[in-house]
Amino acid sequence: MIATIASHQVLSLRRQRVFLALLATLLTMTALAGVLGWSSHQTIVRVYDEAVKLLASTGKPAPPNPFLLKPTLSLLSNMVVYIPLIGALLALILGHLSIVDDETNGTGRLVFSRQITRTSYVLGKIASAAAVLAVVLAASLLVSVASLLVVNHTIAVGDFGRLGLFYALSWLYLMVFALIGMVTVLMTRRRSIALLSAMGAWLVITFVLPQFTSGLRPTQSLNPITDPASTSQTFFKVTSKLRPYSVVEQYKQASGQILQTATAESVGQTIQRILPIAGLVLVLALVTVRLVQRHDFSRSANSE
Amino acid sequence: MNSPVIELRGLSHRYDTDPVLRDIHLTIEAGEIFGFLGHNGAGKTTAINILTTLIEPTSGTAKVCGYDVVTERRDVTRCIGYLPAEVRMYGHMTAAENLEFFAKLSGVTDPRKAVAETLDYLECAELANKRVGSFSTGMRQRIGIAQAIVHRPKVLFLDEPTSGLDPLGVRQLRDTILRLNGDLGMTVFMNTHLLSEVSKVCTTIGVLNHGELIYKDSIEETTRRFPDEASLEDIYVRMETAS
Repeated sequence: MIATIASHQVLSLRRQRVFLALLATLLTMTALAGVLGWSSHQTIVRVYDEAVKLLASTGKPAPPNPFLLKPTLSLLSNMVVYIPLIGALLALILGHLSIVDDETNGTGRLVFSRQITRTSYVLGKIASAAAVLAVVLAASLLVSVASLLVVNHTIAVGDFGRLGLFYALSWLYLMVFALIGMVTVLMTRRRSIALLSAMGAWLVITFVLPQFTSGLRPTQSLNPITDPASTSQTFFKVTSKLRPYSVVEQYKQASGQILQTATAESVGQTIQRILPIAGLVLVLALVTVRLVQRHDFSRSANSE
Repeated sequence: MNSPVIELRGLSHRYDTDPVLRDIHLTIEAGEIFGFLGHNGAGKTTAINILTTLIEPTSGTAKVCGYDVVTERRDVTRCIGYLPAEVRMYGHMTAAENLEFFAKLSGVTDPRKAVAETLDYLECAELANKRVGSFSTGMRQRIGIAQAIVHRPKVLFLDEPTSGLDPLGVRQLRDTILRLNGDLGMTVFMNTHLLSEVSKVCTTIGVLNHGELIYKDSIEETTRRFPDEASLEDIYVRMETAS
């Protein structure tokens, strides 16, 4: 029954224009990420070359090109922005669409008058969301590899592993939003309110929470030292405690480690950044299961 | 004497503090077409929701095909088909895809074959590959009936099945119900307001008033019992006003 629910959901998503439009946008931006990274890298190298020529004309020695040591995957650094923006929106819509028909079209009543348990139903929905996100990110991975090959002509074997890790982390991060999409439908019962609530959660996680954490202390983002000012004030004490729970920041920092675009830290520290995201996925999955088990699908229909 | 396929014993239900069903005792035998009548809010849909295992009763017991709707839910769902009022199904999927999905959820071993046979039986095979979202109310209702019978249930629950149908659609639905009852031996439990159809289709009626079952008997006995009333509608109005 879990497979029946999951395969039906996948078929359904293939017909949803909103979902397909967001998917196309994500894949386009993935391709662009490589091109933009390459373009900015080329600009810097050209500036360096001009500087070398200028120094040579004045008879001064030029330092070795520092940009040649830049990791290949840093060309994809924009993906760390696109995934929390477009990817998260796509995941929200995916989660929303997974449940919303059963809630507002009355099909939930048809489903639960059949031989299916609520646990199988919700596990099927979560499994389909997980599978669809895996396929979406696998497609994005392929586009990333293709764009890197086009602009850089070569990718080291180790970089494949890092890309795989980055997309695995992205999958975990996007599952947060797929589950938020489901939870909001189950809690609000109305199509528009559910979507607005999910978007609200996305805004808070993506924009508001970072403003209350690293956004308040920008020097700490640039330079990993304790902020010299303001840390004794209660407000800053509270917001600094929030920092580990700002999953978008943890995602960006962990991604930076994987793609080698951030200041290096230990593997343990990176794992500590991933744990809150995994924890949130687990909590949201449990909440979704609980909500479906307690939900009154007999009252679902024609709510809009 | 047929065996009872639906048995309600002291069935009560309340939403928060509002009682919706009060101490209902009802037996429906195999092969009957039962018309459940009552004003809006009388509790008819709640009764169907309990019998189709969507909600659990606050107290009392309900059995369908001999299985308890709470403790033997899976057995109950195996032997029932259900068509809610104004169901829309998955609009962006074709009729066949919708029906295959519900056939699989009902444990049908060859869903594709079952869907083809069901659409043929209901004489709407031409709808198979069309998206349900583009269907008229009448077409949607036929596909709704198809999903309810694709697994050949013993009992069919219909909640206001004539709602939104034009006169031709109402007649087609009536013919379909009679065929399902006659050909496939399905017991039909139908909530409806359309009393003219009840008198043409149903073998037995029950009247629910503010959550209480105030009347249950065969159509024949009912017309015999109220010789002064010209139609079932008159009889129903008399019952409602008397209670």
